[in-house]
Amino acid sequence: MTRFFKFLIRISSFLGKELTEIFRQPKLILTLVLGPFLIMFLFGLAYPDQNRTLKTTFVAADPISFQKEMDVFTKSFNSKTFDYVVESDKEKALAKLALNQTDLVIVVPDVSLETIPNDQQAEFLVYHNEVDPFQIGYIQSIARIYVDEVNRQVLQSATAQEQANSGSLQDNLQTAIVKTQALRQSIPSGDVKTITQVSDLEKNLTDLHEKLTTFRSLTPGNLVSPFSSKVSGLFGGTLTVTMFFAPAVIVLLLQHVSITFASLSIVRETKSGIMELFKVAPITAFETLVGKYVSYLFFEILLAGIITTLAVWLLKISILGHLLDYAFAVVILLFTSLGVGFLISLISETDTQAVQYSMLLLLASIFFSGFFMDLRLMREPITVLAWSLPATYGIRMLQDIMLRGSSVPLLVFLGIAAIGIILFLIDWMLLRKKMES
Amino acid sequence: MKNNIVAGNVVETQDLTKTFGKDIAVQSLNMQVPRGTIFGFVGPSGCGKTTTVRLLTGIYKPTSGKLSVLGKNPGDFLKSDREKIGYLIQQFVLYPQLTVWENLNFAASFYGVGIFRGRHLNKLLDFVELRSDKHKLARDLSGGMKRRLSLAATLVHKPELLFLDEPTAGIDPILRRKFWDYFKVLQAEGQSLFITTQYVGEAAFCDLVGVMYGGRLLMIETPDGLRRKAYGGDVIGIRTNEEIRFEHRQQLESLPFIHGKVKIVSDQEIEVIVDDASSAVTILLGWFQAQKLTVAMMEQKSPSFDDVFIRIIETEIKND
Repeated sequence: MTRFFKFLIRISSFLGKELTEIFRQPKLILTLVLGPFLIMFLFGLAYPDQNRTLKTTFVAADPISFQKEMDVFTKSFNSKTFDYVVESDKEKALAKLALNQTDLVIVVPDVSLETIPNDQQAEFLVYHNEVDPFQIGYIQSIARIYVDEVNRQVLQSATAQEQANSGSLQDNLQTAIVKTQALRQSIPSGDVKTITQVSDLEKNLTDLHEKLTTFRSLTPGNLVSPFSSKVSGLFGGTLTVTMFFAPAVIVLLLQHVSITFASLSIVRETKSGIMELFKVAPITAFETLVGKYVSYLFFEILLAGIITTLAVWLLKISILGHLLDYAFAVVILLFTSLGVGFLISLISETDTQAVQYSMLLLLASIFFSGFFMDLRLMREPITVLAWSLPATYGIRMLQDIMLRGSSVPLLVFLGIAAIGIILFLIDWMLLRKKMES
Repeated sequence: MKNNIVAGNVVETQDLTKTFGKDIAVQSLNMQVPRGTIFGFVGPSGCGKTTTVRLLTGIYKPTSGKLSVLGKNPGDFLKSDREKIGYLIQQFVLYPQLTVWENLNFAASFYGVGIFRGRHLNKLLDFVELRSDKHKLARDLSGGMKRRLSLAATLVHKPELLFLDEPTAGIDPILRRKFWDYFKVLQAEGQSLFITTQYVGEAAFCDLVGVMYGGRLLMIETPDGLRRKAYGGDVIGIRTNEEIRFEHRQQLESLPFIHGKVKIVSDQEIEVIVDDASSAVTILLGWFQAQKLTVAMMEQKSPSFDDVFIRIIETEIKND
């Protein structure tokens, strides 16, 4: 029998063993397949594609007239954002806020439009009871948008008023123009200087009249907000929360499953004592490691295939890119994650320790891989930690392939592949040391 | 070392020593195990038997001294050398989630046994009487069945030399006896067996027995030789119809072929130690007749190996 054939036989021992051990645990398989799918499904259900509606209590000196103003206001403002009541008692409103019976208290300044010409700025006081920095940020944005909208409404209303008022002014101007024309005609033709002056005056009055006509013909909304914006993404579609998070959820789950399986693998064998048998048997650390990589890769590729099929078929998550790119990205992610898992297994003394390391890595991946916080917001030195996690590369690759329809980003692919190869070499070295010691 | 190996010895050590920090696990071990023998390595728990096996299999590197297994230092073993060795670990280390067949198949694969091995594996299962249980999960096997499965896994690649570390520990006497029957069959097939045991009585099944105590090898002997060394000769039991008085015993002890004190079993029964039982019996019969004592029984005694072992250890402690 050739050496290479024996090498294959030795590797196959782990393929058979590991797969049989896994497939002999149907509950585990069910959890691994259905777990990720259910998480994605519930995630989609849990987060509807709309902003949080804020239960808001307005405090106004004259609640009845303010209520009327708000009824007009909410027609133009996103009414889903505000679910409001109007109060006159500030203390009562703040007490409700303290008991979380309302999300916001907005104290409306007791001023009228007449204060504007006095060059005075009125202030809306916004109170909240949030501790989550993201929610505080959201409330600050909403408050800013709200005040901008109020300002716009005030300006719009003032403009409409002035347009109405300018009607009599325009009539006066028309009369002045007619009188100027009569005056010009009464001037002797030899008095060229006076005729020129009156003609200029008539022209100015006519210009003013035309401008006033234009001013009155424009809608107050366009006068106050002459510019608006329209945002379009290059990918051309609209993403739901589930669609956006699907690649990241798939990556995190595949990484976690790989790391957990691999991290328990060698540490358990060391503990059971079979490693002693490996030391005496004609099997090398390289063969052992390759055997284990092949076994787990085989199983996890199968698992990834099932999870992806379920996500596409049942959750209607689309893969805009090429399936082959998707497959490449998943395989390299699994390979590198297995490397991390085997490293944990080789440095852990007990399986409890290995599980703890795996959980820590999962936590780190949730916080630093760009799962829910954009990596561009991260401070520069910390990105080194982020880019040392397979999940970071995996999320980047799958988001590009699934959501943007791009091919595998080469630099990211090479980065994760390099980490995977380095981990394989370290694992090999450590296992060899373990099998020789 | 390789050049000094006596042809036919599968194991040879010279002043083999292994220490762990300040603790001496094995001290100046010198032994030769001839090919084709069953070599029993006997000693109490913690005396250094497993450490010795680990040195011989290459798991441990010696602190000092030399060793050779199948003509090579285990530290320099190639794959081809390892294929000639079988190693049975004390505890059950195979996979509880796998069946008997799957475990055996796994062992066969990592030893590199060819893929057409079904018949060979079935034969092995027949040998250890587990064929009818081949589809049982290992976790559902009894302790004895697990030991038999481990033995089958050790034999799966037909090794020349077997290191069996306490193969009979924790199993019932009937199964222990069966194991020794297996070992005899393996020996008959040409395999050499190095077996550690703390059941001293099992020394009787070995060709050679090494007695280990406190990290030192006290002696290597055949089972009979061990008895003789322990007692200083053969033990003869004598019973008479009359009382054997003090003066009779004194006279017996003064005879040149009698060693040590006469052991009193009862008023009419004693035990004496002689150089050679076969020649001493005739002389003793004549002596008792001359003393007008009627011999009702005279036979060579075969003390149990437990007694032999205790006597050897006691002598060792006394000498220390």
